[in-house]
Amino acid sequence: MGRSDTMAETADRLCASSRRAYQNPYEVIDWPDVVERPAWFTSPELISLYATPAWDALGDDERRELSFWEAVNFYSLNLHGEQALMEGLARRLHQPGLEEVTDYLHHFLDEENKHSIWFGTFCRRYAGRVYPDRTLSFAGEPAFARDHLPGEDDVLFFARVAIFEELVDRYNSAMGRDERLVPVARQINARHHAEETRHLVFGRHVVEHLWARHRPGWSDETVEGVRVHLAGYLVSTWRAYYNPDAYRDAGLLEPHALARQTWEHPATAEHRRNVSGKALGWLADLGVFDVGAVELGARR
Amino acid sequence: MTGRSEAEVRLALRDWVRTHATVEVPETFDDHTSLIPTRYLTSLQIADLLLYVEELRGKSLDVASLRPGVFRDIDTVYATFLADGE
Repeated sequence: MGRSDTMAETADRLCASSRRAYQNPYEVIDWPDVVERPAWFTSPELISLYATPAWDALGDDERRELSFWEAVNFYSLNLHGEQALMEGLARRLHQPGLEEVTDYLHHFLDEENKHSIWFGTFCRRYAGRVYPDRTLSFAGEPAFARDHLPGEDDVLFFARVAIFEELVDRYNSAMGRDERLVPVARQINARHHAEETRHLVFGRHVVEHLWARHRPGWSDETVEGVRVHLAGYLVSTWRAYYNPDAYRDAGLLEPHALARQTWEHPATAEHRRNVSGKALGWLADLGVFDVGAVELGARR
Repeated sequence: MTGRSEAEVRLALRDWVRTHATVEVPETFDDHTSLIPTRYLTSLQIADLLLYVEELRGKSLDVASLRPGVFRDIDTVYATFLADGE
C-alpha cells in the first residue's frame, strides 16, 4: 500500500480507539445458565418470515420460539463470516503493501475472535449447536480457483468483509436497543455493534483506498468480474438469513419450501433492498458496484 | 425423496440449472455436462443448488461431509444425493 495519510491516519486512530476499548470477552456479557422460552431473542421485524403469510399464520408463542432459532442462525452465520474474515486477516497481517494497516489488522483479528466467542457461546450453551455453513464450504472447490490480477484478491476480500459486516451491523444496531429482547441477546447485539463501528470505518476506508489504487490497472472485463462476484456474494449472504434448519427447529413444516417461498416473497425482497441500500450505498458512490442493480427478489 | 421418479428429479435439476445459469445454456446441455468449468454455475450459486437438492430430498445434507466434485454435473449430483432414496 503506498503512502496514504488518510489510510494511515485512519488506522492509527482506530488502533487508539481499540486500545481504549480493550475488554475481556468473558466479562462483558451476562450469561444465564438457561434462557427461558418462549421469549424474544430476535426483533420480530427482523425475523426472516416477517410480513409474509407464514408469519401471519403464527401465534405469539410460535413467533417468539422462532425468534430464538433465528438468533441461533444469525449468530451462526456471524461465526462463519468471522471465521472467513479471521483467516483472511491472518494471511494479510504481514503482507507487503499493507504495512500501514498491520497494527490495526491485529486489533481487527483480536476483536473478531472475541465476537466469535460470544456467538459460539450462545449457540452451544442454549441451542447445543451451530448451524452449518452452506456457502463457504465450496470456497475450496478447485474448479472455482482462478488467478487474480494484482490487488484483485485484496479488493474482493475487504469488499466482501464490508458487505457482510455492514448488513450484520444493521441488525445488531437495531437489536442492541430493542428492550423486548432478553438481556443476553440484547447485550450480544449491543456489544457487537459497539466494536463493529470501528470495523465499518476501516472497511470503507480500505476498500476506497485499494479500489483507487488498483482499479486503474484493471481491464473493463476484470472490473466487471469483480462486480459480478460481489453482487453474487451479496445475494449469497442474504440467503443465509433464510435457513431451513432454523425453521425446522422452530417446528415449522416443510422448511426448505418455506425458505424458498419466503425468499421469493415481495415483502422480504423489499426488506433486503432497503437494508442493502442503506448499508451499502457507499460502494456505488465509490464506483465499486451498484447495490441497487443487484437482483434481490421480486418487487411488489 | 418427495415422491418423484428419477427422470422427474433429473429434469427438475436440469431446469433449475437452466433457470439459474449465469450464461446461456445450449440445447446440448445434459446430465453429463460439466456445471462449473463452463461457468453455468458460480461457487455462490452452488450454495443455492445445495438448498434445492435438500428440498428435493426432503431433508438437510451433512454439509461438513461434502467433498469437492460432488456438484460436477447433474449425473453426479443425482447419484450422490438423490439416488436410492438418499
